[in-house]
Amino acid sequence: MSVADNSALLSVRNIQRSFRGLRVLKDVQFDIAPHSFAGLIGPNGAGKSTLFNIISGFLKPTSGSMTFDGTDISPCSVQERSRRGLVRTFQTPQIFGGMTVLENLMVGLHKNSRSGITGNLFLSRRSRREYREAYQAATSALDRFGLAHVGSQNAQSLPGGLQRMLELARAYLGKPRLLMLDEPSSGLNNDEIGQLTQALHQLNAEGITILLVSHDMELVRAASIIHVLCFGEIIATGPLAAIQQNARVREAYLGA
Amino acid sequence: MHKTLRPRISLVLMAVAGVLLWAALPVLVSRHVVDLLVFAGIYSIAGLGVSYLLGNCGIVTLAQSVFYGIGAYCVAYFSAQHGLPSGVGFGMGALLSAAIAFTVGWPTLRLSGHFLALATLALGLIGQTLFLELDWITGGTLGIGGLPKLSLLGWNLDTPQRFYYLVWPIAVLVMWLKHNLTHSRNGLAMRAMRDAPDAAAVAGVEIHALKVKMFMLSAILGSLAGSLFAHYVGFVSVDSFGVDRSISFLLLAVLGGVHTSWGPALGAIFVTLVPEALSRFGEIHSVLFAMTLVIAVIFLPHGLGGALERLLRRKAVA
Repeated sequence: MSVADNSALLSVRNIQRSFRGLRVLKDVQFDIAPHSFAGLIGPNGAGKSTLFNIISGFLKPTSGSMTFDGTDISPCSVQERSRRGLVRTFQTPQIFGGMTVLENLMVGLHKNSRSGITGNLFLSRRSRREYREAYQAATSALDRFGLAHVGSQNAQSLPGGLQRMLELARAYLGKPRLLMLDEPSSGLNNDEIGQLTQALHQLNAEGITILLVSHDMELVRAASIIHVLCFGEIIATGPLAAIQQNARVREAYLGA
Repeated sequence: MHKTLRPRISLVLMAVAGVLLWAALPVLVSRHVVDLLVFAGIYSIAGLGVSYLLGNCGIVTLAQSVFYGIGAYCVAYFSAQHGLPSGVGFGMGALLSAAIAFTVGWPTLRLSGHFLALATLALGLIGQTLFLELDWITGGTLGIGGLPKLSLLGWNLDTPQRFYYLVWPIAVLVMWLKHNLTHSRNGLAMRAMRDAPDAAAVAGVEIHALKVKMFMLSAILGSLAGSLFAHYVGFVSVDSFGVDRSISFLLLAVLGGVHTSWGPALGAIFVTLVPEALSRFGEIHSVLFAMTLVIAVIFLPHGLGGALERLLRRKAVA
């Protein structure tokens, strides 16, 4: 179960991706160390979302490979990657609008249970036990993520900040090893960003590796290592202070 | 303690009264109305199949008449033509329906929204044509008659009253199953993929496989209803399995409310009894029925079941 310190949890090698001849990702490679808190930044159109979609399995790269915990995950589906511990959130919160907040969280535990449709129909012992366990785990997550007061509300009716928290809580319940967050602070006020940062630090302290895409420097500051993606390539890697001094990064952000 | 207990008691009393009323109904109403109620029971089983798909997965199906037909023809073919026990017909219908649902569902359930609805409509039309053309099995336009009456533990179900006591417990069983499924691991997964498929995939929900399985389950219910129908009527012909039948299954599911487990039963009772009640107004009754439907859909967006559930909840809280 334990990973040697020198081996990366996620390793991205020579990823290329073109859309109708336009090369969005030219040659991306970087490593994410286990238990680290990494940030991925870059100007608009740098290819951050494309890269995120490729790592999480929603898009296939034109070429290149990825390993997660030493296993090649290139051929794996989104679901398979998730079962291995690679869990992401979305830029616009993807919540299950027709369900209660508690039910949303219970879906987060889906992959950790086994009962099939027949068992569910006829209330098999496993089906009942898994539902009860999901209910309990989701209920305790409500408290932890400050959602207890809205647990029985329809998720659609939540304000934006709570929808973000809901998405984070649901991802957490999926027992991620690498949690990938896509612009988690967009639409949040300063208080909420503070709460989010605190929650992320706590998750990281519990051993969950975090990879964060954000424009929000306040949030990016929380990351201990930052990768800068620009025109389809990683142009710099390091702590924030070093990144801010980097000539290529300054050029990319301030214009040539 | 006392306060929370009392509404429960009143609900239990209402449930007991409902069961007693249900049991007494065949004695209280005319044979003709019992006959209609048997059809309502049969339709609600097929409609529940449609409602499983629409309410939980957001899939509109217009192919239910095909599985309804398969269930009916299997009973006619194996029981009437070959003299095999009725269980064989029921079983073969369910198996064949599940197999066809799998074969057709695997490629088409990758479609979504209107495209998928159109694909199921195509399946409905193909089924209707095949029922007509494969006349060496189905009897074509002539159909197959002389189906034996069902008997259960030596009890001959040869009157509408007796069939009523078979059909409705089966319908209630299917509603109970739907209720169980809705409040289970896969029930949650279905609603999740209906609302936000990408996030459901990240949660590990195997979306396509789950849709195919639900399509198969829905088809089995359609087939079960068709088999019951064939035994009840004693005669099957292609007229009973057209696309209009699929539309009426969809209609009763929506009218009853797809988010409740027992809505389709209310929808089925509505579409069988209301036209009958309106027929005394003469020729205009079909127009009146259409108007009633429009009014019901506008004023009861969650269907009859949804409206009634809300009413009961208010009662329970008050």
